[in-house]
Amino acid sequence: MRMAVKGIGVTGGFGSGVADLTAALKSGVSRMDGITIPSAQGPLQLPAYRAATERLEEFVAKRALRRIDHYSKLGLLGAHLALQDAGMLGTDLSRLGVVIASGYGATATTFAFLDSIINDGDICASPTHFANSVHNSAAANISIMLAAKGPSLTVSQFDMSVPSALMSARQWFAEGRVDAVLFGAIDEVSDLIGYLWQRQRGSESNGVISPLQADRESSVIGEGAAFLLLTRAEDAEGYCAIDTIETGSLYQGELPLPSDALLVLGADGRKELGARYRATVPSRSRVACYAPLYGSMPAAAGFDLACAALILQNGAAFPITGSAGCDMDGVVAELETERVCAVRLAGANEYAKIQLSRL
Amino acid sequence: MTHHWPVAITGLGCICAAGTSVDACMAALYSGRRAPAPSLRFTSSHPTRFPVFEVPEFSEPPELLRTSALGLQAAREAIADAGLDPEALRSLRVGVCVGTTVGSAMNNEQFCRDYRAGLDPDLAPIERILRSNPAAAIAREFGLTGPCQTVVNACASGTDAVGLAASWIRGGLCDMVIAGGADELGRITYNGFISLMITDDSPCKPFDKERKGLNLGEGAGMLILESEELRSKRGKEARSFLLGYGSACDAHHLTAPKPDGEGLRYAIAEALSCSDTPAEAIAFVNAHGTGTPDNDRVESRVLASVLPGVPFLSTKGYTGHTLGAAGAIEAVFTVACLERGMIPANAGFATADPDLGGTPIQANTQIEGTVALSESLAFGGNNSVIVLGKRGTA
Repeated sequence: MRMAVKGIGVTGGFGSGVADLTAALKSGVSRMDGITIPSAQGPLQLPAYRAATERLEEFVAKRALRRIDHYSKLGLLGAHLALQDAGMLGTDLSRLGVVIASGYGATATTFAFLDSIINDGDICASPTHFANSVHNSAAANISIMLAAKGPSLTVSQFDMSVPSALMSARQWFAEGRVDAVLFGAIDEVSDLIGYLWQRQRGSESNGVISPLQADRESSVIGEGAAFLLLTRAEDAEGYCAIDTIETGSLYQGELPLPSDALLVLGADGRKELGARYRATVPSRSRVACYAPLYGSMPAAAGFDLACAALILQNGAAFPITGSAGCDMDGVVAELETERVCAVRLAGANEYAKIQLSRL
Repeated sequence: MTHHWPVAITGLGCICAAGTSVDACMAALYSGRRAPAPSLRFTSSHPTRFPVFEVPEFSEPPELLRTSALGLQAAREAIADAGLDPEALRSLRVGVCVGTTVGSAMNNEQFCRDYRAGLDPDLAPIERILRSNPAAAIAREFGLTGPCQTVVNACASGTDAVGLAASWIRGGLCDMVIAGGADELGRITYNGFISLMITDDSPCKPFDKERKGLNLGEGAGMLILESEELRSKRGKEARSFLLGYGSACDAHHLTAPKPDGEGLRYAIAEALSCSDTPAEAIAFVNAHGTGTPDNDRVESRVLASVLPGVPFLSTKGYTGHTLGAAGAIEAVFTVACLERGMIPANAGFATADPDLGGTPIQANTQIEGTVALSESLAFGGNNSVIVLGKRGTA
């Protein structure tokens, strides 16, 4: 079952919308911001790619957003932008499925709920924070705002959330359950994520992502939402087709990768994964990594797919110094391509391959 | 919607407050035994001690969340029940699809306290969460190579995981799926549900006039779903078949069901339609039946409307509401009831509510028929329904 990418809605460090992402891909420039976390030594400023949600007010009245947290706002903005891009805003969405992939969910609201208990006692636990901390809160808010009454699925598989969720979306099409799927990847930067990064990686990172360097830590946390409006490939014109999705764990042998496709790697500066990409991807493969535009987060796999779709529409990859337009040995490679394979590795054994081609 | 061909269920596993195996659970259900009580594992400063359904005879290893450990125990029982050698699973394409709510939430309370106090807390509790993704923990334990998915659709997660797993088999993504749900009890969900004022301070009373809300529970249910090709090659008889699956969103409210039950109606219709099951073939419905005023009103009215006269019950009076595990535990119970030809009494029910669409089964009851529904309603407006058939229905 081939699916078509008919619309893209993105918000991240580079800005909001397809035009901003395309501009970042062409220029190689994104906007690094930061997050301040408390520490025993006082407030600590960490580098981070932050995503703005102001454009959401183009689609939803400010009043309606009062009780909606940043995590769900990211999702709502991505969803509206993708529908707008597909020309489907305002159409009948009763046969629209919603699939959300998130590594960590609404971590800021989860901590806010804990704060309500810690600061004021169990009896003062916040019902609003509790309801919004549930993992499927973004999917729910999207369905409510859009009156989308088809099936709804939220998947949390850390780094493999996006490929795993995409596989189930494809099954919905295969079984005729939906006419279209609003597929979104969301993760947010929060105190918890910042602290986790600082303790695990902060002392080694210089704040500049070098995804293809396997010998040092260079990750920078990011946040954002990457949405794709998917339809059956035979139904639609669009950016590209998603041909195959394969996920699983590999305990022995090599991961076969297509030799005729540009490989968009999920490498994002995490040292241990950089080493796995080095060991997995043949040295002469043509590769591209775009994490320097949006940062390291599980939802980055959704941005990788958005970039792959723009590459296929463009007919060629966007070169970014040190990250794209070369082979694994750093030799300049041909950028024109008809096929892209998005490759994501996680942990010691997990892998995902998503193959895309021109429609 | 295309026709769903039946997917074989060859193994079952379950652990919850009703028992630590499928047989123990069913014995408790048929004997009417239930023992909700204030938690023995955590305390709360809340003035009321709300009863919960704990699994007291279970302790988790330090490296795993309790949720994942519960899931693993149920998975081991299901694998053994399917007559499988765990080592042999490595040579097959086996997937894992597990529903949860707590199992992937980054919410360790002590860590948060220490962090807010500026104590630079150790990452061990967070790293345990990162290591304990329920589906990944099962895949890792058994060295499985197939697709892996943790579904976080709130209280419908377990039902969705089972329904999605069947679609993976039908789609040829794998030979077998370990599918189900797992969730643990803890202070965070306990205080959260109390804050929403949908928790009963006495043993829960699904579909009763005096119902005041739910009691939380914990546990896991797992099912082995298998392709026909593999099942016949193994010569293993199916215990049951997953015949159909439907799901739909209310698109109405974050925590309350839509009053007219539109999403549930659609999910039931989809599940029946894709399995070519006529409404009159349904022997019984294992309802969501949490005991909250809203859920039971909406659910009973929908059942009265679309499946009039079909016996229904909630088993949450024996297990509590096990959140992401509930749909899977109830799928296991549904299969076991079909096999035994009997459904248990709806524990906690005493007085009919004229505002509801009907009354649940009040005593152990013989059933006629070979097909049943199990359904879940969830925060976010998710409604999920699976159709299960007795051995011989496929």
